[in-house]
Amino acid sequence: MLRWLLAIAIYPCYKLWKNVLGYTENGYMPDMMKSSQVVRPLKCACLLVCLLSIVISGCSAKLNKARNAFYNGQIDEASGALSSRDDVATRDQLLFYMEKGLILHHAGDYQGSIDLLLNATALMQEQEVISAGQQTASMVTSEWLTDYKGEYAERLLVHTYLMMNFLILGDHESALVEAKQALVVYDTYPEACSADYFTRALIAHCYESLNEINGAYIEYKKLAELMPDPVPVARKLCVLGNRLGFYDEVEYYQQFLPEPELNGNVDSGAGELIVFVSQGKSPVKIPHNIVLPPSIRFSFSTYENRSGYITPPAVGPVSGAGSSDIVTSDIGEVLKASLNERLVQVIAKETARVVVKEAIAHNIDDDNVETLVRIAFFLMEVPDTRCWETLPAYLTMIRVPLLPGENQIHVNGMDINAALPQIDANPGNGPFYHYSSIRNGTGPRHSKENSQSAD
Amino acid sequence: MFRNFLAKSIFFISAAMFILMMTGCSATTRDISTDDTIHYDENYDFSDKHAIVNTLVNSLVSKPPLATRDDRPVLIVYGVANRTSEHIETDGITDDIRQEIFQSGKARFVNKVQRDNIQSESAYQYGGNVSAETRIQRARQVGAEYMITGTLRSITKKEQKQIRLKKKTLQYYSLTLELTDIQTGLIEWTDSVELAREASKPIIGW
Repeated sequence: MLRWLLAIAIYPCYKLWKNVLGYTENGYMPDMMKSSQVVRPLKCACLLVCLLSIVISGCSAKLNKARNAFYNGQIDEASGALSSRDDVATRDQLLFYMEKGLILHHAGDYQGSIDLLLNATALMQEQEVISAGQQTASMVTSEWLTDYKGEYAERLLVHTYLMMNFLILGDHESALVEAKQALVVYDTYPEACSADYFTRALIAHCYESLNEINGAYIEYKKLAELMPDPVPVARKLCVLGNRLGFYDEVEYYQQFLPEPELNGNVDSGAGELIVFVSQGKSPVKIPHNIVLPPSIRFSFSTYENRSGYITPPAVGPVSGAGSSDIVTSDIGEVLKASLNERLVQVIAKETARVVVKEAIAHNIDDDNVETLVRIAFFLMEVPDTRCWETLPAYLTMIRVPLLPGENQIHVNGMDINAALPQIDANPGNGPFYHYSSIRNGTGPRHSKENSQSAD
Repeated sequence: MFRNFLAKSIFFISAAMFILMMTGCSATTRDISTDDTIHYDENYDFSDKHAIVNTLVNSLVSKPPLATRDDRPVLIVYGVANRTSEHIETDGITDDIRQEIFQSGKARFVNKVQRDNIQSESAYQYGGNVSAETRIQRARQVGAEYMITGTLRSITKKEQKQIRLKKKTLQYYSLTLELTDIQTGLIEWTDSVELAREASKPIIGW
């Protein structure tokens, strides 16, 4: 679509240029400017601006429909609104995969979610090559014309949802693959992603579930250093530290354990219930503009919260099996940090765009034409507010030690108290994990579960 | 005069580029040999699988215990664990290893993948529909003597951020295979194959 718009734009631009150049070179009179030779291309240029506006707004209509349906609890309708990737513009393909992948996760179609999110990761890799064509076009139009590449934190969260999907389906090996890819994102954008404790806890669990305890210990230790309070991971550090023989570090982390576990009974044995809780709505980008007379417009976007205070969730505890560990990520804060990390890049691009537009407008000798071109540039300067909107405000991972036999567990402290189906912990020899994914706070609440023994 | 010429030139160059852009996307197909070594990027591909399987199977069948046994011992293949950062179907590696060993005539295999189906078919034959003369005898399956297991690992190093036109990536793979005596628990043979390659891709494209 973008290519066709550029093709349409070539002719009026050429005609306009030709006439303007002709005017300056040959000293044409202003009445020439009134002729159809000039007015027509200008009309075409204005029409192009209108077309661009329609295309920009029209292509996101289905995404918005899906998001609204999702937040109204109509998961099937949300999924149906994005039936194929042709429903959104090519430049918004990544958003299509992200939004639908998350919708399918909460619809319980974990394999469908995996397929879409893997497409998202493949697309992110393709997008590492900067498109000269798109960047050039965006310099005289708007950032909306470029492919959406996702904020750094969003790229990380694609791997997060893939890990959750694979774990719920019992494919621990593939979950570890995603964990390793998530670690690359952490290493590449450390400032932007460091506050995403949930994802790092998930990475540590992926290592642990395959008995790669050294890798798990390293990730839990990183988490303990990053979190304001290492209590949620102290139990794991003590258990794994003991197995690895890091007794001095175990001694240090023991001070963060609850009293009953200080005696050494930190590993309850029969397995764990792991609940992924999504709460609230993630912040969205809102547009901002700074206008400098006569026609210079700086546009940018910032994140604005959509959720107020949300009661933290709690599960269990199962009596006698020990207390649960809770790790929460404030997705809003992570996204804001991510956008801040990109701030210098955004300012540089915006400044360059203003300079290019100003240079073009300044070189037009006729005042009328210049005014029209400035109006067109001014209108086209629309801040890019695209973002992954179905993300939750908070992602929480709750680990509850299970007792051998039947375990009756409730999720408390959310809008609705949810009773998980009875979990029969009879793990045999390998580590036993039972996974659930729950979303609440915005209407829909789906609970899917799967018990897996990771051998 | 010059500006007129410049404007026309830019217009026609733009038009020519546009036409090239539209026509340059025609689809083509061609057959290639699976024995050829072809890499599009640094990631694991079928050429790597060939190299890995050939090297390891040659080592396995030419060294004890398989090289010194004439009675074609029975083997069972357990999966190769994927510890890389890519989604790799390691079943393809184990299938090829089993096929190559089988074709070497040095061993036989228990069909682990089809155990459920064998059980189901056996139950059916004893369900009353199959005549006693033609149905199989139970408790005649052969137990495996050795078990084949393995681990595929990778290390990826990317070039540090700096001003450049191409981004280089260094990729390393290693597959370690083990043959374990199920009765004694001893590893009777082990070997590994390593692959390393450097690839670069442009930072700016069209």
